[in-house]
Amino acid sequence: MRFNAAGLLDIFKRYDFSFFGIATAIFIIGILNLYSATSGSPNMAGLYKTQIVYFCVALFVGMAVSFLGPKNFYRYSYMFYFFNIFLLVVVLFMGHKGMGAQRWLVIGPIRFQPSEVMKMSAVLCLARWWSKHDTDRELGIKELIIPFGISFVPALLIILEPDLGTGLLILLIFFVMAFYRKLKWKTLMIIIAIGTISGALMYKFGLKDYQRRRILTFIDPTADARGSGYNAIQSKIAIGSGQFWGKGWTKSTQASLNYLPENHTDFVFSIFNEEHGFVGAMILISLYIVLFFRFLWLASSVTRLFDAVVAVGLMSIFFWHTFINMGMVMGLMPVVGLPLPLMSYGGSSLVTFGICCGIATSLSNSRNLF
Amino acid sequence: MFGEDDAVRSHKGRLDLIGNIVVLFFLVIFARLWYLQIYSGKELYRYSIENTLRKETINAPRGMIFSRNNQLLIHNIPRFDAVIIPQYLKNKKESIKKLGMILKMTPEEINKTLKKNRGQARYRPVVIKKNISRKEVAIIETENFKMPGVMVQTFISREYSDKEIGGHLLGYISEISQAQLPKYRKRDKFNYKLGDFIGQAGLEEQMDLQLRGEDGFEFVRVDARGRVRKNIKGEDLFSEVRNKKSTPGNNLRLTVDRDLQITAYNSLEGKVGSAVAVDVNSGEVLAMVSRPSFDPTQFSRGLTSEYWKSLIENENNPLRDRTIQEHYSPGSTFKTITAIAALEEGIVKKDQVIQCGPTFKLGRRRYHDWKRGGHGPTDVYKSLKRSVDVYFYKIATQLDIDVLADYARKFGLGTKTGVLLPRETSGLIPDREWKKKRFGEEWQLGETLSCSIGQSYILTTPLQLAMAYAAIANGGTLYYPYLIKEIFKNDGEVIQKFSPKEVSKINVSKDTLDAIKKGLYQVVNERKGTAWWYRGVGIRMAGKTGTSQVKSMTSKELFSKCEEMPYRDRHHGIFVGYAPAYDPKIAVAVVVEHGCHGSSAAAPVVRDVITKYMKKYHPELHAKYAEEDKKKMKQFWLEEKARKEQLKKEQDENSEASAGSAQEDT
Repeated sequence: MRFNAAGLLDIFKRYDFSFFGIATAIFIIGILNLYSATSGSPNMAGLYKTQIVYFCVALFVGMAVSFLGPKNFYRYSYMFYFFNIFLLVVVLFMGHKGMGAQRWLVIGPIRFQPSEVMKMSAVLCLARWWSKHDTDRELGIKELIIPFGISFVPALLIILEPDLGTGLLILLIFFVMAFYRKLKWKTLMIIIAIGTISGALMYKFGLKDYQRRRILTFIDPTADARGSGYNAIQSKIAIGSGQFWGKGWTKSTQASLNYLPENHTDFVFSIFNEEHGFVGAMILISLYIVLFFRFLWLASSVTRLFDAVVAVGLMSIFFWHTFINMGMVMGLMPVVGLPLPLMSYGGSSLVTFGICCGIATSLSNSRNLF
Repeated sequence: MFGEDDAVRSHKGRLDLIGNIVVLFFLVIFARLWYLQIYSGKELYRYSIENTLRKETINAPRGMIFSRNNQLLIHNIPRFDAVIIPQYLKNKKESIKKLGMILKMTPEEINKTLKKNRGQARYRPVVIKKNISRKEVAIIETENFKMPGVMVQTFISREYSDKEIGGHLLGYISEISQAQLPKYRKRDKFNYKLGDFIGQAGLEEQMDLQLRGEDGFEFVRVDARGRVRKNIKGEDLFSEVRNKKSTPGNNLRLTVDRDLQITAYNSLEGKVGSAVAVDVNSGEVLAMVSRPSFDPTQFSRGLTSEYWKSLIENENNPLRDRTIQEHYSPGSTFKTITAIAALEEGIVKKDQVIQCGPTFKLGRRRYHDWKRGGHGPTDVYKSLKRSVDVYFYKIATQLDIDVLADYARKFGLGTKTGVLLPRETSGLIPDREWKKKRFGEEWQLGETLSCSIGQSYILTTPLQLAMAYAAIANGGTLYYPYLIKEIFKNDGEVIQKFSPKEVSKINVSKDTLDAIKKGLYQVVNERKGTAWWYRGVGIRMAGKTGTSQVKSMTSKELFSKCEEMPYRDRHHGIFVGYAPAYDPKIAVAVVVEHGCHGSSAAAPVVRDVITKYMKKYHPELHAKYAEEDKKKMKQFWLEEKARKEQLKKEQDENSEASAGSAQEDT
């Protein structure tokens, strides 16, 4: 008994609460915002309660993960990765359809998107590879072939679902991690060139109609025939109309009139801006940046290369989600349907970010063990 | 361990770079926020408060349907609804009172309607009164500024020229139901929403995708009170938003003749039943009506509860299309098929005479002829002409049911014809395998006997009968019945043309068919033929009567007068005919439910339709035949007179002779 209590105290002392702390702060802002965004329409009014339940689940799972030793992440990373690939294949053939795409896997009462978890599996797998290979040199094309394969296979499977946003996101995460692992500047340029060309080719041949339309809308809103340009404009109006101080909580006119579609998922940030203005946005963005830098600090303070690469990978998951979501809502890039971490409604993404925080916390806790 | 630590440290440079890049990226976000919220914040704020866009759907005009002679069968007529948009409703009480006065409704009624629609989004209009008059429209439009939120909405009402006539064929449109939503979304890969109109029966349903067109939309700038504002140039952020025009639906040109439809429908007056007329040499459907019917216009305007009640409480089910959705025992009209099978299989020769008494005994059961005294010596012509049951019982004993079923199927009976209409029933042609499957029992010879005269399990639809007789008439080609000649756009461009399509060439010898046709000719055109009294003038019809038993009868009931039985127990009367007999152009099948006799109930309808057809499409032929018929009838009456005189004379002679013999006796 005495031993256990002492042990618990010990754990408590070196437990790094920063990741879950910042995440919870952002989530609380998110839930208030979600309440406001959904209160206008009767059939969504209860969603914020569901979101709180999701958050509790995410927190529980994340905490559980944080108590796993970092060696486990290393040991099971490949297994994890291949199992996840298997799930992606399963989902392609027998997944549950929702919103025109085959993304969901249903097991009894649980439904989740393997593509969400894939982000983490890919990060762990890449980290293991890079912590054992080519540690003594800069990365050129030759050294990139296998890591690129590791991220490209799941990305392709996800794009086939079709979920272009998440698929490309995995490639972007790979890119950040490769950069961290000393990608040669020359190679970097080549990758950018290849990326541009293959992007253009994919746009021409590989995209679904709605995806191409979104990109077209972004480039020229007037060319849009279906009115998705209308969403972009309404979103811009919502953000801009917030001005410096915002209209105040639950005072959004754009959201309550249902002008913004998906204002509880992808477009939460525009409601937030409308109600809390420039000031609110600065505070929220600061919280995100603090979180990113906490990950980067983690990467510099761990002793094992694997842990460091993982930390960078987790950071880039958060970073790309945040940046892309804000960018699309403000009309800086096409609407690709990525959620804003901890703010957007949705269980799968909350759990993903919870696990990310859990892994980071575990890595952080183990720093002082030796 | 230290080595790895070094490795981590050696990446410090890249880590710092990543940190810088993160900051740089968010500087972009920051700049954009500054631009939107501070730089253009005021203007955007004004937009959000003063102006909003309302997306209004522009309903695509639904395609029109024309008869074969280009007569418009369905019109689209604009009508008006009075609506309230709750979001914009100010001074609720007063506005509602005012609207009530205009529409002659009490405020309570209006409030009730509003309450019923409280669940939907507040910017969606709630219909208060449908189909308001032009005067009411004018008053609302002028008083509009005093009652924000009250508006007039235009909708296009679909109105059917001939009301009940052909209601089943054209079908109707009505709002998609909650239950239909997921099914139809999946089927058409189209995102239907509640309030969308879709075809729910007949051609409207079958050709829905063609007729529907594509809705457009238009963004209207409205102020905070929901009133439409004109765009002011120079300050228009919304100019980036594009509207989309609606694409009108495609039009159909049918094979159906409007006059024949009307004739057939009127001829069925007071009866429950249906009529199908087809072109013998192409399979074009010329007429297709079912009674009782319904007025499709009522559906598209929003059904009143009284009308709906009158439809569902009518025990004859007016919504049912009796031409294809109902099947009946074909009765004696099926004897034609039995005769063809027997001739082809060599069971009888066409001139072979069989003695036909009043009953046929099989085992312990007696099979009765419809005629109490029997028909005496009968060949195949007479068997059809006078519908001699015992003749068919006798040949049925040598005819295997599987063979008979095969012949029936060759003529398209017992399978869906494939006509472009929803919910067609297939009917039934039984055989050994079917019975084994259905009842787990072996086939009985007695059942073959019943089947040979079209009773027992055999079921056919009127359309199938028409197609089968058309195939007999045209020398053995079974066509698909088709209803649509072409689909064309509003500018006249033809999108799809339909042409006759053969199901098959039926492998039956010409000799057999000629014999059958001769028999069918005699049915109508010779004295003592079952339809002799309904032969008409100038049409030279051939055909076959039939009586479809509704329930099995004892021999006593069998000979009791049909008209004296309770209505629901009376036989269905069937007649299938074609004309002209030796140059066939049109085939018509008519079933009159509980009409007792094929001859008296159904044959007149066929006669009327064919007469109309001949007059309209072949007037010279009609005149020629009429002339011949007149001569023939003159001759007939002369003969009849002579026959009677002869009879009388014989009687007189007989009585004289008997008188003579009496005299001799004495």
